[in-house]
Amino acid sequence: MHVLKSEAPLIIYVDVKSPYAFVAIRPTLALEAELGVQFEWRPLTLDIPSYLGSAEKKEGKVVASKGRNQRTWNAIRYSYRDARRYAERQGLMLKGTEKIWDSTIANIGILWVMQTARDRLGDYFEAVYPPFWRRELDIEDISVVEACLTAAGVDAGGFAAFESGAGRALHDELQPQFHPQGIYGVPTYVLGDDILFGREHIPYIRWRLTGQKGPAPDIAYEIA
Amino acid sequence: MLIVYLDFKSPGAYLAMTPTLALIDRLGLEVDWKPFQTIERDIPKLGKEETVGESHRRVRAASQRALAIKYAAHQGIELRFPKQPGVTNLALGVLAEIVGDPLPFIRGAFNAYWEVHANLNDLAVVHALLQESGVDYRGSLSAAHEALDVAQAQAEDAGIVGAPAYIIEEQIFVGREHLPWIEEIATS
Repeated sequence: MHVLKSEAPLIIYVDVKSPYAFVAIRPTLALEAELGVQFEWRPLTLDIPSYLGSAEKKEGKVVASKGRNQRTWNAIRYSYRDARRYAERQGLMLKGTEKIWDSTIANIGILWVMQTARDRLGDYFEAVYPPFWRRELDIEDISVVEACLTAAGVDAGGFAAFESGAGRALHDELQPQFHPQGIYGVPTYVLGDDILFGREHIPYIRWRLTGQKGPAPDIAYEIA
Repeated sequence: MLIVYLDFKSPGAYLAMTPTLALIDRLGLEVDWKPFQTIERDIPKLGKEETVGESHRRVRAASQRALAIKYAAHQGIELRFPKQPGVTNLALGVLAEIVGDPLPFIRGAFNAYWEVHANLNDLAVVHALLQESGVDYRGSLSAAHEALDVAQAQAEDAGIVGAPAYIIEEQIFVGREHLPWIEEIATS
């Protein structure tokens, strides 16, 4: 699978452990519904320590940190506060994570739903994202992800084999393509030749997908 | 009162000017313009061997630049980046001490940086900008760097992490993508 190619009008890369992807899910699903089309959702499992350093928290306090200076910490804290207030506008809770999670299994779950129950994708996102960001889900536990699939109305039978086999292979096939193709974070929207990082591009995407009427809109976080 | 933080070398701050001024005009907002020194980096060169982090930073910088150029074009601006990000500290220090409306100076400084890649850390350049803008500047150019240090420390203490940044009703927003929410607060 080529990271920039799809039959769908738009490809979206997301990661369950990204707060910015979390707050982009509902607006992007809403855009899909508004336009009456189906986008192609794919996972991009972020390697956060490689570019933001790492940290571990216990009971809200940082107990270990590597590779982060004060400016990086300030930016990270702002990012979380920013994502949190937009989540709250959507009626969602966003708690800072206690560690950097390995979201691979939950992300392979996206591929599973795309292949087996496309119409349930929104339900899967609702089963995974909000509870994870309330710190209620151990997304590194495959049985937890299977329970999310079931809760979303997706048949989880065969997911374990997919997770360790074809799904894992597909996930791993995508990962090394991202940087060479100009993709580095989530949410990323691939719209033809445009690679757009962040949900602030939704107005532009809508404009492009509805015939480019009027002047191109600027970036904006749309608010309900 | 809307507080707006900017740095002349920030493409995001430059591209925020038109929509921000449109919002200010539309709502008749009172504005306090403040300097904030951002860190702008050139796109790292592709090395023979790259760590994942280095690769991430290079791809991110290239993507951000491409998107800035794209959205600038939507505003009718042909955005040309200097070969190396410039230093704008002197002009920012001046901004900290302008009395009254600094907008003519801000416009002049942005245009000078982005249209001719002027050195906004050069005494003669900044002096000329002050003269052309006609703003009321009662500070001393020789002390402008200290004025920026003070303003920068105050901004960081306030929680500012980039530019353009906005404070309204004690909420901080970094980036012009937040203008819809800022407008909502301003009109509520």
